[in-house]
Amino acid sequence: MIAPVVEWIAFGVFAFIAVAGALGMTTTMSMFRSGIFLMASFIGVAGLFILLLADLIALLQVMMYIGGMLVMILFMLLFMHDPGGAMMSTHMSLKGPEKWFSLGLARRQTHGKHPHGQHEGDHGGHGDDMPMQDMSMYTAIKRPAAILALLTGALLIALLVWRPHWAVVHALPDQDSPTRIGELLMGKYMIAFEGAGLMILLGIFGAVLVQRPATPPPAPDRDQLKAAIDETPPPIEDDTLEPEVLDLREDEDR
Amino acid sequence: MTPIPLTAFLIIAAILFAIGLYTILAQRTAVMVLMGIECILNAVGLNLIAFWRFTAPGDYSGQIFTIIIITVGAIEMALGLAIMMLLYRNRQTVQVDDYTELKG
Repeated sequence: MIAPVVEWIAFGVFAFIAVAGALGMTTTMSMFRSGIFLMASFIGVAGLFILLLADLIALLQVMMYIGGMLVMILFMLLFMHDPGGAMMSTHMSLKGPEKWFSLGLARRQTHGKHPHGQHEGDHGGHGDDMPMQDMSMYTAIKRPAAILALLTGALLIALLVWRPHWAVVHALPDQDSPTRIGELLMGKYMIAFEGAGLMILLGIFGAVLVQRPATPPPAPDRDQLKAAIDETPPPIEDDTLEPEVLDLREDEDR
Repeated sequence: MTPIPLTAFLIIAAILFAIGLYTILAQRTAVMVLMGIECILNAVGLNLIAFWRFTAPGDYSGQIFTIIIITVGAIEMALGLAIMMLLYRNRQTVQVDDYTELKG
């Protein structure tokens, strides 16, 4: 058992990583950075899992979320308009966490045609060379959403602090937790386990089905290929080999 | 110095939940909305593990729940990204505000 001071220090570090990562994910202008910040948040939560003595879940968290989902996210970002956030960080006025988490992004000047101050505070207004409303990363309800999220978080934390505490059991879980989890997965929660496996399979099928093109891609020589496949081959005329006759009785005798 | 209470973990989870909520509501791009959903699922997992550790450390069902939630999150992410790619192919846009077919 480690000392409570070390535990508190580790808790502070991991909680900071988790919360700052999530905050950076939502406030930075660069979507690529968002993915990396989300990864940091996952790592922080994995550290909290280890503090809570759930080693297997921490491992699973790192492997599934960071190994699987972050690769998917970073792949999807390649489809994005301005994933690096260079344009947005240039044209929007940033303050607070948005400024801090977007530090170091390219802030290009636009040909000296526009003085930089003209775009300050211009979130969704008129643009000369590009439609400005397409460049903003945020919806129009960004401010009410921020207020709502702040209120929700404050309400949850207030309820947590004011509420009488749960009946906490001062017992340490088994050190060999993967064995216990495996036994539970293969015994009591077999149906849930199999259902999750079936769900993954169906999810793969669904993703492939959604991605399948509705019409086959155009090929210029499709008709020729189809005719070549459908055509019956001409009979072989000058076959000098004797046709091999299989003697089945010999096999049966043997 | 007292050991870390349950409330500390729950507060971290509440903050993560609020950040995820803000991301879902305020972000315009489909990938960012999915990231917000992941953030909320993360908070849910942290809540479950914290409750397991502090109220029922002998029963490992809490960890099973978290495993199922991580699985659901992975499937949701894969399907969401597949649907997003389909919409991108049909619409050439990734902004969720432009997908208004189901609007009543």
